[in-house]
Amino acid sequence: MNLKLVAAIYAKEMLDMFRDRRSLISMIVVPVIAMPGIFAVVHYFTVSLGKKALEESSRIGITARVSEPGVRDALKITGFELVPKPDARAAVESKAVAAALDEETAADSSGRIVIFVDRTREASSIAGQKIESLLERLKLNRVKTSLRGMGVSERVLEPFQVKSTNVAADKKMAGFILGSILGYAVLLLMFTGGMYPAIDMTAGEKERHTLEPLLASPASREEIVLGKIFASTTACILTAMLTIASLLVAIQRLGMGQSGEGLEHLVSRAGPDAVTVALILLTLVPTALFAASVMIAVAIFARGFKEAQSLLTPVVMAVVVPAVVGMLPGLELNVGLALIPVFNVSQLIKEIIIGEYSRINFLTAFASNVLYALVAFWISVRIFKTESVLFRS
Amino acid sequence: MIQVAGLTKTFRDKSRGLRAVVDRISFEVSDGEIFGLLGPNGAGKTTTLRMLATLLKPTSGRALVGGHEVTAEPAAVRRMIGFLSGDMGLYHRLTPREILRVFGRLNGLGEQPLCARIEEVVALLQMHDFADTKVDQLSTGMRQRTALARTLLHDPPVLILDEPTSGLDVPTARVIEEFILQARRSGKCILYSTHVMEEAEFLCDRIAVINEGCIRITGTMSELKAATGRERLREIFLDLLDGQAEKAATK
Repeated sequence: MNLKLVAAIYAKEMLDMFRDRRSLISMIVVPVIAMPGIFAVVHYFTVSLGKKALEESSRIGITARVSEPGVRDALKITGFELVPKPDARAAVESKAVAAALDEETAADSSGRIVIFVDRTREASSIAGQKIESLLERLKLNRVKTSLRGMGVSERVLEPFQVKSTNVAADKKMAGFILGSILGYAVLLLMFTGGMYPAIDMTAGEKERHTLEPLLASPASREEIVLGKIFASTTACILTAMLTIASLLVAIQRLGMGQSGEGLEHLVSRAGPDAVTVALILLTLVPTALFAASVMIAVAIFARGFKEAQSLLTPVVMAVVVPAVVGMLPGLELNVGLALIPVFNVSQLIKEIIIGEYSRINFLTAFASNVLYALVAFWISVRIFKTESVLFRS
Repeated sequence: MIQVAGLTKTFRDKSRGLRAVVDRISFEVSDGEIFGLLGPNGAGKTTTLRMLATLLKPTSGRALVGGHEVTAEPAAVRRMIGFLSGDMGLYHRLTPREILRVFGRLNGLGEQPLCARIEEVVALLQMHDFADTKVDQLSTGMRQRTALARTLLHDPPVLILDEPTSGLDVPTARVIEEFILQARRSGKCILYSTHVMEEAEFLCDRIAVINEGCIRITGTMSELKAATGRERLREIFLDLLDGQAEKAATK
């Protein structure tokens, strides 16, 4: 193996790759612009819709039958706008109000307040929860007043207190949330980032008839394939680095909307440090090599660019499954699971970010991914030596 | 410098089964000689050239290029040849100078000799005006000169040229032809595939007419004339093809 020839092929592929618009879009534009863009859009809608829902939730309907003492006053003091409605259910169904209250007589002749909500509407759910909590407090105050009147201590209602403490440090909390998203996003974009360069330097070369002069040069098939795989691997790693950077920036700036409220502060306070990011990249290197080898091997089968796209789309889709499974909470990596390609990296990234990865799992995943990359490289070379594949038209 | 004996290449075709695209062909090309392989489309010219350039493995037979056997020593063969495919095979996003640099490195030229050689070839093929323009902005003639420059860059002793003037206008084709003649004068062994009769007649020292994978006749122009009783290569060629068709019809 002449490494100078590998380097010559690599240099040519890199030059060609950075002049190819499709490759640049998938490698750079998607992670740098699209990823923060998606976060910005999600953030905008989550915040603005949440704000709108909160405003809408303050307008509630109430029927004339609601006569339980103190209820109306408590609702008004809390900030609810009470709209008289003859039919509480109809008022909620017609979206005239977020929620509505009615009163009926229970079997024991006591009054029963019925809250009508539409759980498919966020404003209605918020209003329902707020009303329920308010009425619970009202009920409790009534009980406390009665107990005081009877000379019984209020403490009888709460014989002991309960306090829940989260032992997870900020870093772990940030890692738990970040790790599940990061592994999936990085793996998916890494494959798509390497896809176009891999197609361009194989099926694209076949289509443009540039492969023949290359094959007739002194470079062996192994040297040609290795140069191409290294170039495609570079594309994968570049995409992964940009995805990690843009995701971290996007989350720090925008958070993740309502469900991850405060995450931006958590990430800026306890986000991954340089060592963690370096460790993640180290984990990704053999996977990038594996991804590039597989994509080169598959794409060379195609007669042209479009056919290669059709062949590689299922490969990229197949990455989604183990990457998504790796996102699931509760799954913990062990030596056996560390042998499953893609899944092992998705899971390992989560554990590295949390700061609780096992060295054995790390080494197992790293070694197995290197092995898979070597197998894929060997298959690529075999395919590159197959005349019927290279010269079929 | 090129010795071919009983070279055969078969392909398995879905509809036609096993098919000999090149069928037991034999010829020799000496140093300082232009040997023309003349045949219609699909005659087996490109497959022959691809076997000699080690892109395809022969099914049977033997071929030596510069004393190296194509199957046993493909790397040694590739170091001796300059191969120009019919499609030129240029990287459209690269400039001619960048392409020359890539292939110079692949042919083991060091950086300094490579730079000097690139300038030499650029001057020789009058490429100064477009050497730094991306290939996708070049005319067909400029592209073909670039492809030829890439083929000659490492000064190989053997040139395998597959229809190098295909699609070119007359003045550009003339420049390429002159260059090929100059290469012959410098002692290179040139295997030249074409289907243009005038070109073969003008350039080639000896010609082999190939059809349906078989060489029908080989010789200098005067030998071909004597053997067929015809004056023009076009007539010789058409007679041979007609003979083939008649044979096929009587079968």
